[in-house]
Amino acid sequence: MIGWKTLLVIITLIIISPIFGVILADMVGYHEPLDVAAEMLGLHDISEKINWTPFFDYTIPGLDPVIGYIVSGFIGVAIIYLIGYIVRKLVSGGGK
Amino acid sequence: MHIPDGFLDPVWCIITYLISITYFVAGAKIMKSPLTPGKVSLITTLAAGIFAAQMLNWPIPGGTSLHFVGGALAGILLGPFYGSTALALVVTLQALLFHDGGITTLGANLLNMAIIDVLIGYYIYRLVVAKTGFSKKTVFIGGLLGGWMGIFIAGVACGVEIGLSPQFPYGVLISVPAMGVWHFILGIIEGIITGSVLFYIASKNPELLVGNVR
Repeated sequence: MIGWKTLLVIITLIIISPIFGVILADMVGYHEPLDVAAEMLGLHDISEKINWTPFFDYTIPGLDPVIGYIVSGFIGVAIIYLIGYIVRKLVSGGGK
Repeated sequence: MHIPDGFLDPVWCIITYLISITYFVAGAKIMKSPLTPGKVSLITTLAAGIFAAQMLNWPIPGGTSLHFVGGALAGILLGPFYGSTALALVVTLQALLFHDGGITTLGANLLNMAIIDVLIGYYIYRLVVAKTGFSKKTVFIGGLLGGWMGIFIAGVACGVEIGLSPQFPYGVLISVPAMGVWHFILGIIEGIITGSVLFYIASKNPELLVGNVR
């Protein structure tokens, strides 16, 4: 399971993801069941008001939304692998 | 499924943070199966795959959208605690780096996707395969049911959380049916994806699965 084939699947998923996460989302309007329920309850999303990250909602400042989405995906995956690499070192170096 | 900032009462933010933190601290202490480099690699790869898969948001005719969550899959492949760890890595990264899901609601999102979805998915799968024996077919069925019920119950939990927050306690009469019905239906797709991936793994790397049923 671990290997180049899995990595290839992940890369493919990220490259095709804007079709769903950006293009179709804009076309049809992304609307989860949670959003439906929230509207019924009159809840308000304050994420944009208190936002701290330049990569808000998988965007990259200065980049086209489609490209930004792909770059965000690679950044996310890279960080996960980096964390995994560090933990793996800690586990190897330690006891057991 | 990711609850944004602003949807939950501060009280429920704190309660869900406490539940999630307690689960992970207690789990780490109780964990008997040691963390090995191979296990770390599997957790990492699965987390990366789930992160990528969650970026595909599918519009559904009829006015809603869905994305694969992957909790049941992680629980089944890694065992409940490490499955939760993989999902926690994904959900936390999404919140901190992309503000997908709130920081105030991270506790609730961890509870729903990294704990409830993983545990429900794992134990239903385990029950199915234990009852019917290990084979590609039963693995698919176990994954289908685990993935389906995992999403459904997580969706209901999410509905309870947002329903209790602003209009305590009457909001649940609105949000739980809305979340429950949709996630019962959408969960079928999560179940099919989970079952299909497990079927493939049972064909190629069955040792990844056999160990988790003992």
